[in-house]
Amino acid sequence: MTISIWRYSHLALAVSSFLFILLASLTGIILAFDPVAQKTLSYRVQDFNNITLAESLPTIRKEYPEITDFSVDNNQFVILNGTNSEGENISVYVDPRTGRSLGAPKAQSSFFEWVTAFHRSLFLKETGRFLIGFTSFLLLLIALSGTVLVIQRQRGVKRFFAKIVRENFAQYYHVVLGRLSLIPIIIIALTGTYLSLARFEVFKIQQINHKIDFNKINSEDKVPSAEFAVFKNTLLADVQSIEFPFSDDPEDYYTLKLKNRELLVNQLNGDILSEVRYSRSAMFTELSLDLHTGRTNSIWALILAIATINILFFIYSGFAIMLKRRANRVKNRYKSDECRFIILVGSENGNTFLFAKSVFQQLLNAGEKCFIGEMNNFDSYARAEHLIIMTATYGLGDAPTNAAKFIKRLEEIKQSNKVKFSVIGFGSHAYPDFCKFAFEVNNKILAQNWAEPLLDIHTINDKSPEEFMQWVSLWSQKTEVSLNISAKEFKIRPRQLQTFTVIERSELAQPEGAFLIKLKPLKRVRYTSGDLLAIYPANDHRERLYSIGKIGSSIQLSVKMHSLGLGSQFLYGLKPGETIKAGIDRNAHFHLPEDSPMVIMISNGTGIAPFLGMIDQNKKLKPCFLYCGFRNDQSFNIYRNILDNSLETRRLNGLHLAYSREGEKKYVKDILARDEVFVSGSLKDGGVIMICGSLAMQRDVLQLLAGLCQRYNNRDVDYYQSNGQILMDCY
Amino acid sequence: MAYKLKLILVLMIGIFGPVASIAQNAGSKQYKCMIQMTNYAGEEAYIVVSLINPKGAYEKTIYMFAKNNKWYKDLGEWHQFSKKKLANISAITGASVAGGDRSIKVFEIENSKINKGYKLRFEVAVEDKEYHVKDLEFPLTTANVSGKIDGTGYIRYVRMSPN
Repeated sequence: MTISIWRYSHLALAVSSFLFILLASLTGIILAFDPVAQKTLSYRVQDFNNITLAESLPTIRKEYPEITDFSVDNNQFVILNGTNSEGENISVYVDPRTGRSLGAPKAQSSFFEWVTAFHRSLFLKETGRFLIGFTSFLLLLIALSGTVLVIQRQRGVKRFFAKIVRENFAQYYHVVLGRLSLIPIIIIALTGTYLSLARFEVFKIQQINHKIDFNKINSEDKVPSAEFAVFKNTLLADVQSIEFPFSDDPEDYYTLKLKNRELLVNQLNGDILSEVRYSRSAMFTELSLDLHTGRTNSIWALILAIATINILFFIYSGFAIMLKRRANRVKNRYKSDECRFIILVGSENGNTFLFAKSVFQQLLNAGEKCFIGEMNNFDSYARAEHLIIMTATYGLGDAPTNAAKFIKRLEEIKQSNKVKFSVIGFGSHAYPDFCKFAFEVNNKILAQNWAEPLLDIHTINDKSPEEFMQWVSLWSQKTEVSLNISAKEFKIRPRQLQTFTVIERSELAQPEGAFLIKLKPLKRVRYTSGDLLAIYPANDHRERLYSIGKIGSSIQLSVKMHSLGLGSQFLYGLKPGETIKAGIDRNAHFHLPEDSPMVIMISNGTGIAPFLGMIDQNKKLKPCFLYCGFRNDQSFNIYRNILDNSLETRRLNGLHLAYSREGEKKYVKDILARDEVFVSGSLKDGGVIMICGSLAMQRDVLQLLAGLCQRYNNRDVDYYQSNGQILMDCY
Repeated sequence: MAYKLKLILVLMIGIFGPVASIAQNAGSKQYKCMIQMTNYAGEEAYIVVSLINPKGAYEKTIYMFAKNNKWYKDLGEWHQFSKKKLANISAITGASVAGGDRSIKVFEIENSKINKGYKLRFEVAVEDKEYHVKDLEFPLTTANVSGKIDGTGYIRYVRMSPN
């Protein structure tokens, strides 16, 4: 529940203050260039940090006898005020070593002055100052709540800078840039808040009051000012300003305003008449100004500018994320008690809702009474026959916020009728604990006596529309309710198609057999075995996907011929040299894991295609075993030479065949059962099992594996699934 | 006849007027003036130094400590006067003065105004704080133009000395 509090505060703070943050950021970006522009002037002399007052002050005074004061600004330019021989008031930049004039100061550009005033007070005087100060404080809270959200998302402080899973542009860069500019933004907000507090005198302002005992002033021993100990020991770099004595009267003195204290110095002999150190709050105010404005360092000023530009981006991306979530809210047409279909969603940031909504809409269109809700609102449903649970997993295998109470409610609330259920888990293999919460929910519902599983738990990696469509068709078949959903609905951007040239195509050995076809991309494209090639045989919305085997630099597909198959007929009709347009779908969850010690590949029929590529790419000779099922020896024939070669080069270590219509008539699960010790042992040792082929085969194999895991490893098969050791790509 | 006389008079003023003003200029003196501010908290102060005639009315602006003429209107009384009698004061304008700071400037006062019932007024305005018409006002006497006079609000004291 804490997650939602932080997220809610982050959003509420941002929404309530974004207008002021926007104004302050825009002006702040402009102001960051003031120090940068000033630093380009060249009134700073070389080796400035080593000049003492004794070296410079008498020289300057000799050049300008009527000097009244001089100051060292944030750029270490020395500027003096006084009168010239005509009695005119003057102000001039000087070289502190020679007293030579370097030029007259220009008034601060009225533009920067105007922007500064706006940045500080929005031209609303005290009200504006208060608003800006308060905004600064809110920005600090936004930054801090954002930090907590990043820590929660990354599952721990130590993983703060670990890789971020990309969901979409706004979300990804909101987090990536948020991490990078966090520290400058916190500094901007903290110093801004402090400066406002100081401005409103929330802290006690130091009153500098010197007490001089004028009776004790020594006016006898005169010393030249170049010999004053205090001048010899004070560097010009530590000076803010120096006020010269008003007259020759011994009771008039020098006032030295240094970085950390103020000194009064007898003008005749250099005695220190009084010394007051600045309070800590006064020093911190100066430091805050330095940090907030970047006035002392142009690199820091640029960093502030970049961080502030990021704030603008956060306003944009934050709203984009919020609107996306809002768009996913759904209104129910029927009450939950009258509905036959109940869809419950567990979603942290609303992505899962997109899928749930399409099912909801289609059921309504099909004339069914359907209810959609959050998992936390699980209730008893008087007329429910079907329950569909779609849930993501958050953090370390935890429930998303709106599903956190689900399991507790599930155990308390019973349904009066039998309800068929199906659980869909949304997740990403980029995280460990893939769909862990969905697996947990599935098991808990299974244990309820009112519940009857309609389908096995179905997982969807990285919001794959293809995997979702698999569920849609399975569910439709079982319920005989047709859902008219197209995978296109979930495609965020139209795909880019590339041109491929046909290199070679094998002949069919039998009428309903399979053939191999090799394609080569015209341009450089990134892909690997296990990715999917999408072709559009009729140049319309109809898309056919084929698993890619990467052989050398070309794509090899293994295609089963169907007499009425749109894709297979089209591909078989191609001749070498012809070109086609196709797109590549990255299918990262079905890539050969690099760090696994060994791999067992299981396929039936043309499901062998990606494995042919993976074996060809296995140049490191990782232990690799292939279990594949075919109808008969003839169907295997087209792969025979390729695999014999691989065995010779040791890219493949074992080949096990099962023919279902010939000889002993075995299925692939039978030859796996024969090697059960080897198979279960490989999982125990961290090996990976990859399954590609028909869903029926996948179901059989998973059933077998579930038994093996219990028997040999004393583990649920779920454990290996969520651990990314069992990878599946079936159709 | 009367018309011709008038014309001659106008011409004479035209010719001798400038000479007369030079003569007046020679009859003025420069003074060094130091304003020491109190440690008030807030924005920098806008200070205008004016010559007040024996009737108590503004006669002339002596010096202006200001950053931006946008805020001249905050110096209300003086602003009323300056609107009636537009004078270019950019030559006698310097930076505004922050709390706790001091500022030293040199300005000119005609000798004929000394010991004649004229006064020097220091008027102060600070953003979002009280406006002081007479933060400090003192008679222009020989003693005062080389002395130290305490202020009543933002100004701690003013010191003057002939330059």
